Amino acid sequence: MIRGTVIGHVWATRKARGLDGQTLLLVAARDAEGRTTGRLVVASDTLDARAGEDVTVAFGSGARNVLRPGPDNRDLLCDAAIAAIVEGAG
Amino acid sequence: MFLGRVAGTVWSTVKWPQAQGLKLLLVRPYRLGDLPPGAATTGSGGSVGSVGSPSEPTDDLVVCADTLDAGTGDDVIVAFGHAARVAVSEKLPPGSKPSVPIDAAVVAVVDRVEIPR
Repeated sequence: MIRGTVIGHVWATRKARGLDGQTLLLVAARDAEGRTTGRLVVASDTLDARAGEDVTVAFGSGARNVLRPGPDNRDLLCDAAIAAIVEGAG
Repeated sequence: MFLGRVAGTVWSTVKWPQAQGLKLLLVRPYRLGDLPPGAATTGSGGSVGSVGSPSEPTDDLVVCADTLDAGTGDDVIVAFGHAARVAVSEKLPPGSKPSVPIDAAVVAVVDRVEIPR
């Protein structure tokens, strides 16, 4: 997983069917010191995260488990999902 | 997944049979500085928002399969790994295992990116 900050929204109408109904947020990754690294991730959001909020993003099967806990979730189209809204880090 | 701009096309004649008919695109990921706060942009040179098009993205190119007929200059979302195989195998029956030899695919052509100040 990574830690990052939600910076915005992405909208698309022409998309794979598996993305229907998913909210897609743009997340700027942060390093160990809390600085942004420049890397941007598009993540599915089920927690109603807002721009400016710090979040963790899970990838791969971890991301699918956010959308629908496994094991029968390999039909989901999701490789990154917001797993938590972060209140503090030290 | 990441947000990127289609920079071109790759084609090949020698490839695994499962990849026959798959279109391959070169996509350049956007980085944080490419999309300034307040930016609102559209994928294909549209004019939504106040700051117009973002600057050209700057990172390494990613080769990805495309089933959405994206073109050069389009802003797209690219998924990696199993999600990419799911995207290009959407016509398979539920529960069947996607077996295309790819690990990145265009899963959406972006209409709009909105970054509040």
